[in-house]
Amino acid sequence: MKAGALLDAATQHALAFEWLVSAVAPASPYGERVFAELRPFAAGEEAAAHARARAVAALAETIDAERLDAARDTLRNAPDAAGAIARASMGDVLSDANFLELQRTFDAIERIDALLAGALEPAGSEATRAAARCLELGRAGKFGFYLDDRFDAELAASRARLAQAQAELGAARGRAVQRAAAALGREEIAGDEFIVMRADLHGALPEGVRVVREAPTYYLCALEYDDRTLCALERRDAAADAVAAAEEAARAALSQAIRERAAPLDAAIRRLGELDVMIAAARFARRYDCVVAEPARENFLAFAGGRFLPLADELAAEGRAFAPIDVVLHDVAVLTGPNMGGKSVCLRTCGFVALCAAFGLPVPAARARVGLFGEIAWLGIGSEGELGGLLSSFAREVVRLREILERGGERLFVLVDEFARTTTPHEGKALLVALLARLRERRACGLAATHLGGVAEAAGARHFAVRGLRDVPRRPPGGDLHRVLAALASSMDYTVTEVTGAETPRADAIALAALLGLDDELVAAAYDALEERNRTQIAE
Amino acid sequence: MRVGHELLDLARASGARSLFVVGIGKNVGKTVAMRAIYEAAVERGIATALTSIGRDGEAVDAGDAAPKPRLHLFADTVIATAQGVLPRFPASEMLDFAGLGTAAGPLLYVRVVHPGYYELVGPPTASGIRKVVAELSARSELTLVDGAIDRVAALAGGEDAIVVSCGAAAATTMAEAVDAVRALVERLAIPAADPREEALAIEGALTAQRAAQLIAARERRQVVVRDPTQVAIAGRAASQALAHLRIRCERPLRLIAATVASIGRERWFEPRAFAREVARATGLPTFDVYLAERAA
Repeated sequence: MKAGALLDAATQHALAFEWLVSAVAPASPYGERVFAELRPFAAGEEAAAHARARAVAALAETIDAERLDAARDTLRNAPDAAGAIARASMGDVLSDANFLELQRTFDAIERIDALLAGALEPAGSEATRAAARCLELGRAGKFGFYLDDRFDAELAASRARLAQAQAELGAARGRAVQRAAAALGREEIAGDEFIVMRADLHGALPEGVRVVREAPTYYLCALEYDDRTLCALERRDAAADAVAAAEEAARAALSQAIRERAAPLDAAIRRLGELDVMIAAARFARRYDCVVAEPARENFLAFAGGRFLPLADELAAEGRAFAPIDVVLHDVAVLTGPNMGGKSVCLRTCGFVALCAAFGLPVPAARARVGLFGEIAWLGIGSEGELGGLLSSFAREVVRLREILERGGERLFVLVDEFARTTTPHEGKALLVALLARLRERRACGLAATHLGGVAEAAGARHFAVRGLRDVPRRPPGGDLHRVLAALASSMDYTVTEVTGAETPRADAIALAALLGLDDELVAAAYDALEERNRTQIAE
Repeated sequence: MRVGHELLDLARASGARSLFVVGIGKNVGKTVAMRAIYEAAVERGIATALTSIGRDGEAVDAGDAAPKPRLHLFADTVIATAQGVLPRFPASEMLDFAGLGTAAGPLLYVRVVHPGYYELVGPPTASGIRKVVAELSARSELTLVDGAIDRVAALAGGEDAIVVSCGAAAATTMAEAVDAVRALVERLAIPAADPREEALAIEGALTAQRAAQLIAARERRQVVVRDPTQVAIAGRAASQALAHLRIRCERPLRLIAATVASIGRERWFEPRAFAREVARATGLPTFDVYLAERAA
C-alpha cells in the first residue's frame, strides 16, 4: 500500500500512515503482492472507492470474526506457489517441494472459498480443482506430498527392482564388512573410513581392506569391494537410475498438468491475494467498528464520532477511552482550544478519516461523508524534523509551506497545526490569515489549529473550538503524571463545536500549568499578570 | 566396540531427546560422530530426526572443495533441510514448510522414504534451531543436530545432550587441539548455581570486559548467567575468567561425551594418545569413531 502523491513523508508520519498500513496488511505472499500495488483512489474515482469500502464492510458484516480469523490463519500458512506456476509455464519440471507448495495453495484456496462462501467472488476455479485432483494422489497424511507409486505404473515397478538390488548390495557389502571386521578382531566397522593401528596388526591387512592414507602408527583404511559386491553395486546403480528416470517422468507429467492451466492458476492466486487484502481490511473494519463513508464529489469532509485509531489504541491499552469527534469541513476553517484539549488529535482524526476513505476503506466514525483528495498535507507540529538542523523551526515551517503551495495539487486537504507559533504573535497571525486566504483561493479544504486570537474573524473563516476544561481539576496528591492526565481527561470536554460570534478569552493554560505542578506563587503571579493585561485592554 | 551405540546409550541415559554434536572447528569429525549415533539409533528402531546448524552432509567442503563425509539416510528418518539441497532422487515425503529461510531456500520437514544420500542445511539462527528441534522432537524419539563451532547460542534454552568433537584439522599440534577442547568444555560445562550461596546475577551475556571488571574487583560471589552460552568469552580470556571467577548458571548443559578425529587433511595425531589427552582434559568419556575405541 503506497501513499503516492496523496501524502508526503512528513504527513505520513503525522497521520500514522505506517500504523494504518500494518493494521490492514495481508497475511500471505499472494496478498502482499496485491497490497504492494494498492494506491489511493483519485478524485473522480469516488464510485470505485465507495464500492471497495462497501465490499469490505459487507464482508465484515457477513462473515463472523471467527471465520475471518480462520481465513487469515489459512492465508498466513499458505506457501508461495507463484514461482512454481511460472516455472511450469516455461516448461520447467517442478520439484516435489513445488508440488507441496501447489497442493497447499489449492487447499488454501478451497478453504478460503468455503469460509467466504457467497460473500465474495471465489478464488477457486475448474482449473484449480483439476490441478488439485492431479496432485491428490501424492497427498501424504493430511498435509504432505509424496511422489507416490500410483502416479505412474513404472514408478512402482522400478522402485521394487531398486529395493531388490539394494538388498542384494547390502547383503554383499554386509558380508564384506563382517569378514573384514572379523579379520581385524573388531565388533564392527562403521563409516566409510576407519583406522587400523599398526601395532594391532599381525601381518598384512586383510583382503578387501585398502589403505587410504598411512601414518607412522596407523593406517587409514576403507573397504574394497570384491567382484561380487561390485556387480551388486552396478545392478543397484542401474536400478537407481531407472527409478530416478521414472520419478522425473512422473514429475514432468504433473508439471505439464500445471503448465496447461498456468494462466487460470495465475489468476486464481491473484484472486487469492485480493481476498487476503479484503479479509485484512474487513478485520480492520470489524475490530475498529468502521463505517462506509458516503462519497462526496467535492472537497468535503464530515464525520460524527470520528476516532484517530493509533491514539485510541494507545488509550485503550491504558484503560482510557478516546473521545470521538464531530467535524464538518467544506473549506479551510480555524480550530482553537486549550492546550491538551485535543486540537492536534482533531486534525489527525480528520486526516486519518480522509486517508482511510482514499484507500477505499471503511472509516473510523459513526457516520461520515468524505471526498477524495489529491493531496493531504500536514503543516506544523510534527512535520519539522525532516529538513535538518540548519534552519530554525519557523524557517522549516515556511519552507515546508512553500513546498506544499508550489506542488499546486488539485483537491488539497490541508491540516495546519499551530503554524507560525514560534514567531511574534502579531506577525504569526498575519501570516496565518494570509495563508487562509491563499488556501481559500485554491479551494482547499482543511483545518488550521492555532492559539492566536481573532484569526478566524480576520480571515473570514469558519471557526471551530474545542470546548476545553469543564472545571479546573484539583492537583492529585504527589503530582503523579499519569494521575494528572487522568484527572485532566475527566475534566476536559473534547467536543468540537462551531463558534459563532466573538471569542471568549479563557485562562485554561494557566490552570493546566497549575495542574501539571507549577508552584502556587508562580501561578498566582500569572493570573495577576493576565488580569492586569485585561484591565489595560478594557481601559484602552 | 560399537562407538555409535555407546554414544547413544550415554544420550539416552541423560534423558535427553535431542543431541547436539558441536566441535572445536571444521572437519573435526562432527558429522562422523553424528552418523555413528544415527546408525545405532536406526539399528535399534528408534525414530530419529536430523538437522544441522549450517550446512552438512555435502559431498565436498563448500569452502575448499575437499571430500566430506556424506549422510546416507534410511527410510522413516525425518530431516529438516533447505529446499535447495533436497535431492530429486530418491523422492521423499514433503511434510511441511518450517516457515524459516536459509541461504539454500526455504526450510522443509521431509521424511525419507527410500534410503539415499542427503545434505542438511539447517536454520541459520539460534531461535530457528530451537523451533526446528522442537518440531522434529514432536515427530521423532531422538533428534540429532550437526552443530557448528560458532553457534553454541543454539544450545540455549534446550534440554539437549551435547557431544563435543575435536580433531587434528582444527589445530597445528595435539596440545593446541586439547587446549581448544578443554576451553570449549569448560565453557559449556559451567555448573549450576548453588541457591544457598550469595550470587551476582548477570543480565544477558557475560562479556570479557565485564569479567575483567569483576576479576579486578576480586568478586567472590557466584557470578550467575542464565546458561553457559551466555558466557561470551573465548580462548585464553575464557579460561582466565573461569579460573578467577566462580561462574555458575541457572540452566546447566548436559555434556555427555567427546569424540576425536586424529586425521586432518594436513596433519595427523597419534590416535590413542590424542583420545587419552582429550579424556583427561575434559573429564568426559572420549571416543574415536574411526578406531572404534573409547579412550583408556
